[in-house]
This record gives sequence, structure tokens and C-alpha cells, in this order.
Amino acid sequence: MKITFVKKIQLDGNFCKKCKEVQDKINAADQNQFIDQVIIADERDPSSPGMVLAALYSADRAPFFIVEKEGRSPKVYTVYFKFVKEVLGQKITEEDQLKEILNDNPDLDFL
Amino acid sequence: MSDQILPIVDIDLQLSGQAPEEIMAYALSKFKNIAISFSGAEDVVLIDMAHKISPGKVQIFSLDTGRLHPETYRFFEKVRDHYSVKIDIVFPDTMALNNLVREKGLFSFYKDDHKECCGIRKIGPLRSKLLTLDAWITGQRRDQSPGTRSAIPVIQDDMAFSRPQEKLVKFNPLANWTSQQVWAYIRQNNLPYNELHDKGFVSIGCEPCTRPTGPGQHEREGRWWWEEATAKECGLHEVNTKK
Repeated sequence: MKITFVKKIQLDGNFCKKCKEVQDKINAADQNQFIDQVIIADERDPSSPGMVLAALYSADRAPFFIVEKEGRSPKVYTVYFKFVKEVLGQKITEEDQLKEILNDNPDLDFL
Repeated sequence: MSDQILPIVDIDLQLSGQAPEEIMAYALSKFKNIAISFSGAEDVVLIDMAHKISPGKVQIFSLDTGRLHPETYRFFEKVRDHYSVKIDIVFPDTMALNNLVREKGLFSFYKDDHKECCGIRKIGPLRSKLLTLDAWITGQRRDQSPGTRSAIPVIQDDMAFSRPQEKLVKFNPLANWTSQQVWAYIRQNNLPYNELHDKGFVSIGCEPCTRPTGPGQHEREGRWWWEEATAKECGLHEVNTKK
């Protein structure tokens, strides 16, 4: 299994807020050991490797994870807690996962 | 699920120029295990379109948060009768809701924000329902929310709610329509509608979090008006993520 973590640099040169938050969570949970590579999606450069991957996998949120397993199509995760639960097999609270989904998809509360 | 692997971005490019009825027809032709998410508002248009294509055969579900207006509950019944359809009403997890109300009361969203409550009453049940589907259809439109939502595609790979190692496809047939076009359709086709619209409500959600809006106000101003609008900054700009 190969895990790629894609983080976004905004037009102002800083990492996006959520990218920083997710990186902090990864550090705190000692999950860097599971990530094979970190790639940058630089909004100032549409041809940067991360922007190319975002286009390739139709990822419209950052950060995101690409999980490649032999013999299977790559799977993209834009929800950190979903990635942690399904790929790393670690326990997470339902509340954390739901809150992250809503934060990332503000229009869902219109449903 | 359809045995065809969908190149979502390419299909979005093709479908985005088509009418909502054509997008609906495409969605229903590609997926058998597909359902319409009906909020009890003007997205009744979706049910009407699906009914004309495949009468009585399309799954419909609604999220009952327990805090909806009586008018909305009556509207669910009106739609059920009008189209002779079953509506799968989905409820929040009892334990999670009980914990929230016991710890924070019935109006915590006025003190914190609405997300914890929405998470339990709406997003949790929605996720449970979507885990049973291969595709779903919403009434989301670009004009519903200024700013970040201006890029809602008509079809998308729903990465938030998909099952492990599987895809979930989300259709937004009304993405390109304005509120005026939706209401023109409702009037021209004499569709039933939620009586709250006659009382000045444009966007309809839970009773404590929805209020009527005045002329010139955006419909978003009728929801969670006590919260400050916050800029969303983690989207990857559409123009850069298109193939």
C-alpha cells in the first residue's frame, strides 16, 4: 500500500488552515510513519504536482490522501477521519467525523 | 451499481450544458440503486422530474431532524399523496441525540454553532442512508450560497460519504438553475409546495434555525443568522482542478 498526502499552499504562500490542522493531528497521532510521500498543491502554480493530482483524481478539497493498493484503483480521501478509520484502521469518534464532513461541505446543512 | 467506470469530470462537462430533466434521465438510466434527497422545500421539482421519467420507481428519502416545521411535515404527506410515492424518512441516532440534549439542552446551536446539532440530526443519518446507495440526487444549486458554492458540478464523486473502496456518485441536476427557474417550473407544472414559502420563507430547514427573508435578502440570510459568515479557504479552485 502506498499513501500520498497532498497539502495545499494558498495564493498567499501559506498552507491552508485545514492542511495545518490535519498535519498537526497526524503529528500528534504519530501517523507520519504511514505516509509514503507528501506532495504540495501550490495554487500559484497549476502545474505543481499536487494540483496535477487534484485534477487527475477530481479532488476539490485540500488536504487529501491518495491510497494505492496493488490490483485496485487508487482511492482518494478528502475527509481525514474517514481516512484514519478506513485506511489506518484506527478508532475515531463519530462526532469528530461528522463535524469534519460538515465543515468541509457547508452546503450539506441545506439538505 | 453501473458496471461502467464513470469519468466524472468528463461527464460533468457534457451534462453541465443539459437541462435538469436530461441530467435526471441520465442519472436514473445509469444507476438502479439511486435515491433523491428531498428536503421538503422546492426540491420537489426533482421528484416531479423523476416521476415523469419513471413513475413510482425512484427512491426518495428525507431527513427528519425532529425540529422541522409542522408545515414541512404536512408537505411530506402532500407529496407522498400527490405522487403516490413512498418517502423513506430517516431519523437521528437516538443515543447521540440523547447525549447532546442531555449535556447541552435543546438550543445549544444558539450558544455554540449549528454544526454539532446538524452533525447529529442531519449528517449522521444522511451518512447512514448514503452507505446503502450507489448514487444520490440533491436539489443543491449554485445560487443558494454565495462564494464557495459557486462551483457545484452537476455530477461529482462523493468522497465524503462513499463506502470503503467503493464510489458514491452525487447528482445535482438543478445546479445551474436559479431560484426563479425552479419557481417557474413549480408554477407551470402546478406542483405542490411547502406552505412556508407563502409566509416569506425561501430556504427551509429546522424551525429554530430558519426565518423568513425580505426582498433583496439572500436566502442564506434566513438560516443561522446569528453566526458570522466565515470564509472557506480549503477548496482547490475549480479552474485548476479541471482536466
